[in-house]
Amino acid sequence: MAIECLVLGAGQEVGKSCVVVTIGGKRVMFDCGMHMGYHDSRRYPDFARALALFPGAADYTAAISCVVITHFHLDHIGALPYFTEVCGYHGPVYMTYPTKALAPLMLEDYRKVMVDQRGEEEQYSYEDILCCMKKVIPLDLKQTVQVDKDLVIRAYYAGHVLGAAMIYAKVGDAAMVYTGDYNMTPDRHLGAAQIDRMKLDLLITESTYAKTVRDSKHAREREFLKAVHKCVSGGGKVLIPTFALGRAQELCILLDDYWERMNLKIPIYFSAGLTIQANMYYKMLIGWTSQKIKNSYTVHNPFDFKHVCHFERSFINNPGPCVLFATPGMISGGFSLEVFKKWAPSEKNLVTLPGYCVAGTIGHKLMSGKPTTIDVDKDTHIDVRCQIHQLSFSPHTDSKGIMDLTEYLSPNHVILVHGEKPQMAFLKERIESELGMQCYYPANNETVSIPTTQNLKINATEKFIKQNLVFGGDMPKVGGCSEARGILLMEKSKTPKILCEDELLHLLGMEKHLVHFEPLPCSRMKEAESTDEPLLSSRIEEVKHTDGSAVQQASLADLGCERNG
Amino acid sequence: MREPRPLAYIVSSAASSSPLGNYLDPMDDGPSVSVPGPPNAGRPRAAEPRASTRSPEGYEAEVRTLASMSRGIYPLARAEALRGLAAVLETADACGGAVEQCYGCAVELMRDEDEGVRLASVRLIALCADKFAGREGWDGNGNGDQTDLMFLQLSSMARDMSTKVRIEAFNALGKSHRVSEGVLLQSLSKKVIKPNTGSGSIIKGKKLPPKLIFPCAAGIFAHGIEDEFYQVRTAACKSLGALSKFSTQYAQKALDLLMDMMNDDTEEVRMQTLQTLFYMATYGCLSVQEMHMHMFLGLLIDMNALIRDATRKILGLVNLPKLQMFKSAIDVLITSLEKNPEEQEIYSVLFSVGKNHGSFSANIAKHLAKEISMPSDAELILDKPRIKALLIVSISVSFSDDKHNKLDIPEIIFLHAISLLGKISCALGEVVDQDSLLSYLCQKSGTPFWKTRLLTAESGESEGCNVETVAGIRAQIEKTEKSTKCLDQVLTMQSMKIIIETVERAWAMRKSCNICDVRTILRTCKEELRILASNSSGSTGAFLRFLCEYLDAVQFIVEILQSIQLDNSYDLGPISLDVLLEKLDTSILKMKCCYAGFNREMEVQVCELALLANLLRLSKDRIHSKLVLEKLHWTINRLECLCADGSCELSYFSREIKKAFDANFAGSDVCTLLELFHLKPKTDYGMLKAISAVLQVRDNDSENPSSYVCGLPVGVSFDISLCNISRHDRLWLRMIVGESIQHTFLELSSFGGNDEVKCCSTTIPLFATPMAWSFVLRVCLVMECPYGSISVHQRHGGPRDSIVQLCDELDVYFVCTEQR
Repeated sequence: MAIECLVLGAGQEVGKSCVVVTIGGKRVMFDCGMHMGYHDSRRYPDFARALALFPGAADYTAAISCVVITHFHLDHIGALPYFTEVCGYHGPVYMTYPTKALAPLMLEDYRKVMVDQRGEEEQYSYEDILCCMKKVIPLDLKQTVQVDKDLVIRAYYAGHVLGAAMIYAKVGDAAMVYTGDYNMTPDRHLGAAQIDRMKLDLLITESTYAKTVRDSKHAREREFLKAVHKCVSGGGKVLIPTFALGRAQELCILLDDYWERMNLKIPIYFSAGLTIQANMYYKMLIGWTSQKIKNSYTVHNPFDFKHVCHFERSFINNPGPCVLFATPGMISGGFSLEVFKKWAPSEKNLVTLPGYCVAGTIGHKLMSGKPTTIDVDKDTHIDVRCQIHQLSFSPHTDSKGIMDLTEYLSPNHVILVHGEKPQMAFLKERIESELGMQCYYPANNETVSIPTTQNLKINATEKFIKQNLVFGGDMPKVGGCSEARGILLMEKSKTPKILCEDELLHLLGMEKHLVHFEPLPCSRMKEAESTDEPLLSSRIEEVKHTDGSAVQQASLADLGCERNG
Repeated sequence: MREPRPLAYIVSSAASSSPLGNYLDPMDDGPSVSVPGPPNAGRPRAAEPRASTRSPEGYEAEVRTLASMSRGIYPLARAEALRGLAAVLETADACGGAVEQCYGCAVELMRDEDEGVRLASVRLIALCADKFAGREGWDGNGNGDQTDLMFLQLSSMARDMSTKVRIEAFNALGKSHRVSEGVLLQSLSKKVIKPNTGSGSIIKGKKLPPKLIFPCAAGIFAHGIEDEFYQVRTAACKSLGALSKFSTQYAQKALDLLMDMMNDDTEEVRMQTLQTLFYMATYGCLSVQEMHMHMFLGLLIDMNALIRDATRKILGLVNLPKLQMFKSAIDVLITSLEKNPEEQEIYSVLFSVGKNHGSFSANIAKHLAKEISMPSDAELILDKPRIKALLIVSISVSFSDDKHNKLDIPEIIFLHAISLLGKISCALGEVVDQDSLLSYLCQKSGTPFWKTRLLTAESGESEGCNVETVAGIRAQIEKTEKSTKCLDQVLTMQSMKIIIETVERAWAMRKSCNICDVRTILRTCKEELRILASNSSGSTGAFLRFLCEYLDAVQFIVEILQSIQLDNSYDLGPISLDVLLEKLDTSILKMKCCYAGFNREMEVQVCELALLANLLRLSKDRIHSKLVLEKLHWTINRLECLCADGSCELSYFSREIKKAFDANFAGSDVCTLLELFHLKPKTDYGMLKAISAVLQVRDNDSENPSSYVCGLPVGVSFDISLCNISRHDRLWLRMIVGESIQHTFLELSSFGGNDEVKCCSTTIPLFATPMAWSFVLRVCLVMECPYGSISVHQRHGGPRDSIVQLCDELDVYFVCTEQR
């Protein structure tokens, strides 16, 4: 038996994560994402290949046992409505509760951008999204779900974003884990990935930062706080453009805590849409946040920020220092751009930028060297004199984290996805040399076949059990370890059997043959004495081949026990 | 029976048995060949150490059995086996191969699937490391790799997914005894440091399993301080500091991590960080760099007073390499002082910071002198915290180690510092007395005042107070502290003796002298005793209190005798004889019942007083009342009983009374018997203990009365604590409202605490509340004092015998609810 792993997306690239794994005859699709960089057919995984895996299947529903989504990012879920509504997959779809809650928002938001702003042809409608979501079966952490008779899946906490999960799947003896995106270090609002140690044949892990080892998170936080504190104590305003979910909450918890400790009275604002929606979800899904938040939740919901004040648009022009969170994250338009226009010309002010900005946005322009003026359109020019602070908070684990997880899980094979090819090659080398595991990083549409371990049931004769395994029997003791000797009999179409040595002849209906050796000639006696080896006589058992059955002598010993003691 | 296997073998065998873990999942109905356990293993519970007397063979057998148990298929059994091994190891002396064998087992199960097993395994490894380190000659050459290996093994567990395992691993790491610098540095950095050829090759030469080279320790502390669970962070922080004594390079890098932890969102972690820093500072491995100052100074003005205090303590110990850092530290301390003027200990910190940086402080001193002497338009306000703080810093130069700086301090500084004498001497830890400090300051400032004193005070020391002498004095004081305590005791005893002698003399002159003088003498003595009693504790304190009672009794006796002898008790004023007799009885009862642990002599003494009291009653009444005679009889019996074995002698007085009593007082004058009494207070008190009680009522005072409904019972909540009460004592709570008294029996079994102090919070109902708008309830704890079998009071539902008050009466205020 083997695990077949077909990588439909995120093979040697980042985007449109989609892996179809055939495990014990079951086909599981992990993630169903879209590529944000393409606007043609390349943006979706090539689902036809998944259909081709199973020649007998009439449609996707027959070909795929289930789809499991790890988290709500579009490169992991973006193609799902397309797959279910357009391609016509009607089988079960699994995702965690928060993902189910947040995914429609993300999908609808993107659909609007795609259709309304870019004027593209509609791939799926809002109704399709709702229809698709109806097929979703929510998962809870560590809840074991019996998908069908053989297939079992289980979700583990992955950090990364609210509701992100790692998926464990098992059919018979073959077991594997698909990590999705995960984070091995906790941040201010999400915990670190957490999984049990299990016997695994395969681990499919993301490798966004396959080569990078990030420094301490504390240092980054300290730099950020220092920059903000310096700015506000100098009377400046701080603009923090963020996305509504995730980073905004983390930074705000960080600031709120710092404000509390330093007893600062400077107001922190949230531009309206952000607080209402995202914080509401966070307050509801508190069970999916970090330990610290869960602990303090009983006394005070940490998403009820103490120092966050009510904000009105007119406040932009108010004098005096303040901190403002505004969407969207890359200053690509909307409210954050409006504020940026107002605040950028003063050198007292500070703008923080997220770790990654798409090319073409103002954020990207600010990141690539410090420009003095920015042209928003042909009439508007912004004089940029403010300070720029780049945040490097990332919800992905670094190469150390990947190694740690791999070492902890100790699978037999590792497949890397969701990363850049050169870095993946580097990580593969490390995993193979340091951890001694087989490692692959297939490109899109490639298949990797992995052998699985198989446990074999064997029977034992009554006599063998009595002699060797029942307490009180006179089992030979070797240096504190017990050892049982027997003969393993494997016959065609029969369960293998273990039996005692003296039972063999009886079973085969044969007689015992004894072979005697001649004593050594006198001339070699001295030599023999000096080497001190018992060459005088010995008795061997014959190994016989009969039709269709093989007899082997087996020595069974406890693990870690020496054999020649 | 084989010989114990050498350690290297175990390590290699552990490596050869798949390090990927022992996958013996009972749920997989697979390897049915795995043997659940060896024949003689029994249940793992049997592993717990039973007796301390076991032969080495017993140990070995036990270890072997448990070791084979640890390979069982059930995780709980495996974990229990490992715990059993740990228990055996803890009791065993680390002889033979037992430790090696346990270690081997633990290493094998380090990668177990079950978190409980991993936890037990980490504990066992830590214990083994401890045992190895405890061996003689272990610190010698060649074992460094072994300790490093164990450190690495524990490190690899510090990235476990189970919180408990991580905590345990970090705790174990902190207890490491010796770790090489390379490994330590690796534990701080996530990036893998290429092992230099030296130690790396040795490790490889020992054929370590490939996973147990450096990478497994990579950045464990960097991860540990970022952990999701504050318990892990705290443990990591603690170990981080504990290991810093092994390497200075490590300590420096660890400081960077610790500085980051100051931003932690949990206060416990921040406090632990500061403790760790303090630990490092005391070990001298804390060197603060400029980059740390921002964080450090931020903590000095933290909202939390505990954090501020802890930071200041550290600041007082560290060495700041640059003047700029020094100045900023001083500035922030001054800011903090201005914000929190109540925190006077900041002056001490300023002083020690200044003292530690003599040359920088001298610089400050020069600037300050200029500022002071400059004829500014407004007068300089010396009272400002800033100037005070700077003065303290400047003056600290003269106590600094850098000798050459001492001359640099301008006189004017000393002149102004005189006003801060108290703070300076406080900062010096009050080892130098203020007088000599003052004379030193005066001398330096050139003030003629105090000059004569100066010569005598400093004839020996040319340099005045310097650190060496200060340190010397401190050491001396610490040394003499113990002897001082003894001295105190001796002094107390001496004054006690003097008081007793005085009392005896006063007793002797009671006839010849005015009663008022005797009274005054006794009263003064009592006063003295009370002061002594309040300063001493234990049995001495108890005895002093006892003596007070004794003197009370003596005073009553003197007055009673006086009033009996003079028919017209003019001097006594309005106090009638009955009252005095009653008071004497109470006083004697108190002596008898409120102290435990009498020795025989003291009890005899109390009994004689009781005899005397009864005799006085007889002489007053002239009629021999049955009750008094009974009491007399009982007391005589008790006295005889006490003196029966001849350890002490029955006094003449007692013997005569016994004779008279046997003769039914026929032919003997009571007054002549009275004359026979001889006052001789005993000073040998043995292990005397005072019985006392504290009674408190909750949430009640005259401003804040409790409410009640007229005529209905009301519950009163009390906090009661009792000292030295025995189980046989019978305690009652007496509640008095006007005329009515309610006694409530207190069940001693409901009290918590030890034999010495028992505590209890209870609510006791007062049944008959008066029909009044408000009333005051007087509450008191009383104890029954059995007078043999003689029952004094026959009150229904109250104490049977006479009682003593154990505490002062407490007022509880009540107001009727309708009024409020």
